[in-house]
Amino acid sequence: MRFRALSLAALASLSVVGIGWQMGAQLTASQQTLSAVPVAPAAHTGTAATVPNPTALGPAAPAATGSPAATTAPAAPAGAASGTFDGSVVQTRFGPVQVSVTIASGSITEVTALQLTNDGGRSVMISNQAAPILRSEVLTAQSAQVQNVSGATYTTHGYLTSLQAALDAAQF
Amino acid sequence: MSLATHPTKRAQRRTSVPRIHPNYRRRMRLADGLQIIAVVSVALVIAIFLADGGAARFGTPADAITSLGVVTGLVGTDLLLMMMLLAARLPSIDRAFGHDSAMALHQSLGKPALYLILGHGVLLTIGYSMVQPASVFAEVWIMLTTLPDMPLAFVGLGLLIAVVVTSLVVVRRRFRYEAWHLVHLLSYLAVLVSIPHQLSVGSLFREGSVQRYYWLALYVGVAGSIVLFRFIVPIVRSLRSQLVVKGVDPVARGVVSIRLSGRELRRLKARSGQFFIWRFWTPKLWWQAHPFSLSAAPTGNALRITVRGLGDASAALSALPKGTRVSFEGPYGLFTDFARTSPRIVLVAAGIGVAPIRSLLETATFAPGQATVILRSSTADDTYLVDELAHLCRVRGAELRIIAGKRSPGANSWLPADAVRARITLGTLVPKLREADVYICGPRRWTDEVVRDARSAGLPTRQIHFERFDW
Repeated sequence: MRFRALSLAALASLSVVGIGWQMGAQLTASQQTLSAVPVAPAAHTGTAATVPNPTALGPAAPAATGSPAATTAPAAPAGAASGTFDGSVVQTRFGPVQVSVTIASGSITEVTALQLTNDGGRSVMISNQAAPILRSEVLTAQSAQVQNVSGATYTTHGYLTSLQAALDAAQF
Repeated sequence: MSLATHPTKRAQRRTSVPRIHPNYRRRMRLADGLQIIAVVSVALVIAIFLADGGAARFGTPADAITSLGVVTGLVGTDLLLMMMLLAARLPSIDRAFGHDSAMALHQSLGKPALYLILGHGVLLTIGYSMVQPASVFAEVWIMLTTLPDMPLAFVGLGLLIAVVVTSLVVVRRRFRYEAWHLVHLLSYLAVLVSIPHQLSVGSLFREGSVQRYYWLALYVGVAGSIVLFRFIVPIVRSLRSQLVVKGVDPVARGVVSIRLSGRELRRLKARSGQFFIWRFWTPKLWWQAHPFSLSAAPTGNALRITVRGLGDASAALSALPKGTRVSFEGPYGLFTDFARTSPRIVLVAAGIGVAPIRSLLETATFAPGQATVILRSSTADDTYLVDELAHLCRVRGAELRIIAGKRSPGANSWLPADAVRARITLGTLVPKLREADVYICGPRRWTDEVVRDARSAGLPTRQIHFERFDW
């Protein structure tokens, strides 16, 4: 390659990679700030309230799920309704996540995944593996305060956020 | 652009420096453009990965390995597509680099592309297995059974390995050309079957995304180029030209000149020194295609090639009946006057390499006394077309030198042993070599030696042109 071609190619490549990097950084930043936004209330009847903005996850996610926890008492409040409550639809980078929770006599008896990340075969595989783990952890903890499933960060965040919305709707 | 005009001014001031042919500048601009596009295409796939937030996915070892696996897959596939374009006989690539250089680049990209694709498979398997957690072998099974389109992707990888391994020089020599070529065609299948998993497993090329359209456009562009320039254009040209064998003239034992006649041959824009890939439609030969150079300047209704039949094709070629239909791909190659940069010209040939040299001598631009033809052979008897060369040299005012004699075994020179002892080089054989374009055509190893000699005489790359024959 001649010097001119080499320098132009290097310049163009650096710009292209730089722009890509910048776009990626903005995407990551927006995901972090959005995940701190409170989740819209969920509906009881099965018509789910959709969160308009993608609420995917960054490192700030645990803090996001942590803040409503302060209001959710560890012991089930007396005012908690019984029944099945759909959580909000949480948009993640790999697709929407939504769960429904069944509450009977003041305790969480079942969590069902209505939608799981579906963007690409790999993310379907990951969320299918993570969902049963999350379900059993939630049933044990009786709250949305459970550990992140490693390798399934997006699914975990979407799952727990949607669950918290459902629990809020049930005034659990 | 200011950079481009600068050397011209300097060249005009210093009159001793020969004026560089305007063709050369145009060709180099095209070459620069193509090279820039190639490099930027690699940068672009990396940028696509980064724009998807890829830079943030290096936090854990598993994430880092997985991300690295994605990047190697992207870059490896980009290189594969580039290789296919280089072999697609794109007119602009042939005009900028010549078929020989394009194929050399194609060849040199083979191993890096394979390593990247292999790395893609290995890294992703390791990365996924760390998350699972599962053993690497169990992970391969999990991937094959739970991820979409993975069996096809593994088939593609296997095919790719087969194609590259059969193309390694050592292995390739053991195969007939046709067998090797058949295996090589599997690379198209390898690329094709790997497309589904790229679209379905990852989320980088998710439906409706700009990246997905770009990625698919790359494939469509490459496939379109292959179909157009390797199939449609040759078929249309062959049908239009209606080439038939007009006569076969014996030149020496096993060497014949084949005269072909046809119509509207000017539209091929063929030049002296170029080659075509020929197919002679006889019961014995139709399934083989051979690259042969023009040994005479092309005209509007006639072409001539001079061939030394190799192996079993030899007898069949010298017995070609008159009127045999001929189809072809081409013309290809930059071994022409179009590549000239300097006023003088030196033509160096060995063996059947004399064919394109003979046609170049007929039409190359030079003033009487500015051309030298060097014919190299082991004995004085195994030179071809010498009478024609001698006649052309007389008519056009070129000097003809025939250098016969065996090379000493083990010596790295293109000249006979006694010439090496006498310290004869290209520089001592040719007056004012530095002001000349050198055209070299012969067997691969011999050609490389002449190129080395020309380089050590101080000739810049742009003044050295060569065509090496072997497949």
